[in-house]
Amino acid sequence: MNTNIIFQGSISKGLQLLIFFVVFSLFSCGEDGDTAMEPAFDRGPLLQSMATKLIIPNFEALQTSVNTLASATDAFVTTTNEEHLTALRTAWVQAATDHQHCSAFGFGPGNLLLGSYAEVLGVFPVNEAGVEANILDAGFDLPNSFDRDIRGFYAVEYLIYGKGASDTELLTAFDQNRKDYLLLLVNELKTTFDTIVNEWNATYLQEFIANDGTSAGSSISLLYNEFVKDYENLKNFKLELPAGLTADQDAADGTLVEAFYSGISRDLIAEHFNNTKNSWLGLSRAGEEIMGFQSYLEMVVGGPALILNTKEAINQIDNAIAALPSGRLSDHAGSAEVKNLRDELQANTANFKSSMSSLLGISITFNSGDGD
Amino acid sequence: MTNLVKTYQRCKDYLEQPISIAPLVTFRLAFGLVMLFSTLRYMYLGWVDSQLVDPILHFSYYGFDWVKPLPRTGMYGLFVMMALACVAIILGWFYRLAALVFFLCFTYVELIDISYYLNHYYFVSIVAFLMIWLPANRHFSLDVFFRRVPEQKTVNRWCIDVLKLQIAIVYFYAGIAKINYDWLFKALPLSIWLPAKTSVPLIGFMFGYKSTAYLFSWMGMLFDTFIIGGLLHKKTRSLAYLAVVVFHILTGILFQIGIFPLVMIMVVTIFFSPAWHEKQLARLSSFFQKKKTFDQSQPKPVSSNTNSRLIYPFLTCFILFQLLFPWRYLVYPGNVFWTEEGYRFSWRVMLMEKAGTATFYVKNTETGREGSVINRQFLNAHQEKQMAMQPDLILQYAHYLKDHYTQQGMKDPSVRAEVWVTLNGRPAQLLIDPAVDLSTKEDGWATKDWILPFKNNEPQ
Repeated sequence: MNTNIIFQGSISKGLQLLIFFVVFSLFSCGEDGDTAMEPAFDRGPLLQSMATKLIIPNFEALQTSVNTLASATDAFVTTTNEEHLTALRTAWVQAATDHQHCSAFGFGPGNLLLGSYAEVLGVFPVNEAGVEANILDAGFDLPNSFDRDIRGFYAVEYLIYGKGASDTELLTAFDQNRKDYLLLLVNELKTTFDTIVNEWNATYLQEFIANDGTSAGSSISLLYNEFVKDYENLKNFKLELPAGLTADQDAADGTLVEAFYSGISRDLIAEHFNNTKNSWLGLSRAGEEIMGFQSYLEMVVGGPALILNTKEAINQIDNAIAALPSGRLSDHAGSAEVKNLRDELQANTANFKSSMSSLLGISITFNSGDGD
Repeated sequence: MTNLVKTYQRCKDYLEQPISIAPLVTFRLAFGLVMLFSTLRYMYLGWVDSQLVDPILHFSYYGFDWVKPLPRTGMYGLFVMMALACVAIILGWFYRLAALVFFLCFTYVELIDISYYLNHYYFVSIVAFLMIWLPANRHFSLDVFFRRVPEQKTVNRWCIDVLKLQIAIVYFYAGIAKINYDWLFKALPLSIWLPAKTSVPLIGFMFGYKSTAYLFSWMGMLFDTFIIGGLLHKKTRSLAYLAVVVFHILTGILFQIGIFPLVMIMVVTIFFSPAWHEKQLARLSSFFQKKKTFDQSQPKPVSSNTNSRLIYPFLTCFILFQLLFPWRYLVYPGNVFWTEEGYRFSWRVMLMEKAGTATFYVKNTETGREGSVINRQFLNAHQEKQMAMQPDLILQYAHYLKDHYTQQGMKDPSVRAEVWVTLNGRPAQLLIDPAVDLSTKEDGWATKDWILPFKNNEPQ
């Protein structure tokens, strides 16, 4: 400990150190040849591309469909008949579909007081008893309610599709209280997505592009964390739980599927995974090539191997989705096809959840890593 | 035999040489201030709640599973007490009690959850422990001012040297841990971490180049291994300290490592000459208009009354432990980065990029039905991330799940886990045998035979 090979010597330590630095730099450049000068990935263009060609257009589409849903609701409330009910349902299907293309973007404006918007307004199964109680409660105050399972897309679905009743019965049951509650829910959706789109376009877009680091709280870490959470939600809540595959369950339970009342679960699962693919592969919803996580992975150590692995897994998932039984998924919740899709999603989880963040150097949490 | 006695006597004489107390006093001030800041910061950031109070379960240190967090109020009370202890350490007021309280509180918090393990928490615990036994309040303190203890101008040499040695161990061991193939010849993990930092102002552009990762890897290794040498020599000391400051500021900018750059920058000043420390204290005194602290007309210094018969054997054991414990990994088969058997408490800092995804399956052995576990139900993001790559935490979680589902009424559940881990950019591979019922395995010092061997598949 007493001798020191670097600092040994007498006078010009600074000079020695400088020489060491220079020699060392030359040595390491020389050793590494061409790859040494490969520039690093610039996250700014990735963020810009994803925001302007995927995130914002998808939220705008959702805003449009939610606004259509709102006017269809108004028409239905004014004249409660079969025709308006059909129009209302069509509008809801579009909104629920567009929601699949936004649920992964629950950060920034998409992050509400109670959490990511999808965890507030996209919650299922619906608490039917809670909804019925709120309908009867004249003093019910939705904005100040913290309950997630009595609001949002699927509570609306419950109201307009009902549970097994015929359309005539459903229309008859639609009294003023029910209409008021429907209006309340749809209005919350409308306000929320109007605000989200406004915020993105007003200031958040610039902020998002400028925040191009990799620490916790940076845009890429927000985007990544929500991407992974959304992917796990697909696996855990849309497949594993209805299929009865968690440790807490004894059997499959079809009532746990997303969109239980309308029966479009299968389509929504496909749309959900389409958006996952778009974010990862770098595609707009219309299929135009943009930048995605893959573009970033192409530039980092270990990236190409992970890309290969992930693409293979994505193919398997696509096949498994295509193989899902048609008709209501709730009738096939315990099927081998559902389990197979869950397994394929599971097989790809490590690619998304740990390998990707590891290679990209993205911080997952705010806690310090190991200090130096 | 007489030689041995002579050697012992010479060592003892050396260790008991009286030297200025000033470095120890500024160390007390610096340590107290940084720890006060750290304690307040921890509360301010809401970590008392998010790390200690809110989690449903905590991962214990081996042998310390009896350490449990207090309820919320108690936890905050403890942090307030810890902050007050820091203030008392700074003031040198009931110093020894304050140092003891700080050590106990800090170590208690540290022991609550191993998923927050940091080498530097361990370092702080060790230093806090040493501070209890060092007479750092014998000058420039309220204890002296109120005549609770006699003032001393000198202390035995070992009182300063033990701190220097502790710091030396940290750097030197951190340095030699970096002497491995990935770090030096693949510049891993720095060639993963640095390109992610190109948005750092001014110097960010450098991190895009692979040679920067190599340069930083080698410089980091050489810095850690040899910096103590530079600090010990008077001629190189200022330059070495400059290197310390630059190194820690750089790592502080690059990585989210909290206050530890500051801790090291502050504690390393112990290597400065007594004259430097005396000057700083004199400056401080004049600031408080309490001049003449080092006036020669002060009463004759009282020598340290610590019982050397007890202190030397104890110190020897303590230092031997420090020197030997980090080598225990050599006893275990396999790659220490992969198995993490003997990884902790060895000053391996910022040494690897490792991440995993762990999926647990609980089987009702009565019905044969197996189901997966949604980790987010039980763990916060940080806990899950740490657990998913560390075999002993995976094991603890498996035992927790067994207990949980037994309580839920499941008869004799078995727990297995599929854990995919990537190390330094290599394609992910299975960390542990996915068929093993982890609930039948116990943690301990023995080799964990359910860890699968590491396949060295180079990153592409």
